[in-house]
Amino acid sequence: MNDILADRAIMTALGRQLTVSVAKQSAAASNLANLNTPNYRTREVSFDDALSLAMPGGEKLAVTQPGHLTGEPGLASARQLQDADGLPTRRDGNNVQLDRELLQMTRAAGDFTAAQTALSAKFRLVRYAINESK
Amino acid sequence: MSTLYSALNASASALSAERARIEVAVSNMANAESTRGANGQPYRRRDVVLSSDPVQTFDDALGLTGAVGVKVADIVEDQAPFARRYDPAHPDADQEGFVAVPNVDVPEQMVDMLAATRAYQANLTAIGLIRDMISRAMDLGK
Repeated sequence: MNDILADRAIMTALGRQLTVSVAKQSAAASNLANLNTPNYRTREVSFDDALSLAMPGGEKLAVTQPGHLTGEPGLASARQLQDADGLPTRRDGNNVQLDRELLQMTRAAGDFTAAQTALSAKFRLVRYAINESK
Repeated sequence: MSTLYSALNASASALSAERARIEVAVSNMANAESTRGANGQPYRRRDVVLSSDPVQTFDDALGLTGAVGVKVADIVEDQAPFARRYDPAHPDADQEGFVAVPNVDVPEQMVDMLAATRAYQANLTAIGLIRDMISRAMDLGK
């Protein structure tokens, strides 16, 4: 029973990583699209929200027994964007850095691929069990 | 997935906006010597005004922030005065022998076009990455 729970927890976590990396990819794509828009400010997925998705204790329910479900943090929280700070602003009020955004996109795509690979390996195991090891 | 598609839409909107910038820069350069336009005046340099444009999705209705694309808000004419060049033989020369030539600075247009080309390439790269992610997500069902 515990193994099944752990399995499900891993799958949920991987699914969450997919969601976070899609949100990051979307933010970076928006920033790149507005590379030349005056007064546009670079937006990013806020670190706190991404952390609370990844770390236990963030928005989870309290548990008194190891078998209790901890509840899922709201997926919406991963998609609230905030303005990135510490970036130099150009004369037209825009602070999008081309290399930074391309790096963010590559990183998000890499995270997505990693989670997808692990998730499909999990699914393969489940399918293997369903098909009676055939 | 919908977020990936709205990111794709945002990048696609940037491609058409950057293409518009290139078109305007090219027509400015083509008309750098046009001393007679439709209104009889020399050609005025035109400039693209870009503004951000949120991609409309269901997420907006839910109050979530989605991808933000870009659109061409306006194309404006530069009201800077025309340069005057001494060329008495020119058909459009005034009594003193000066010709008003368009306020187009060709090197500036070249720089603008290069910047637009780079932005176009960056957005193409972004589309490639998003496309890979979408096909990866499809692979989950295999």
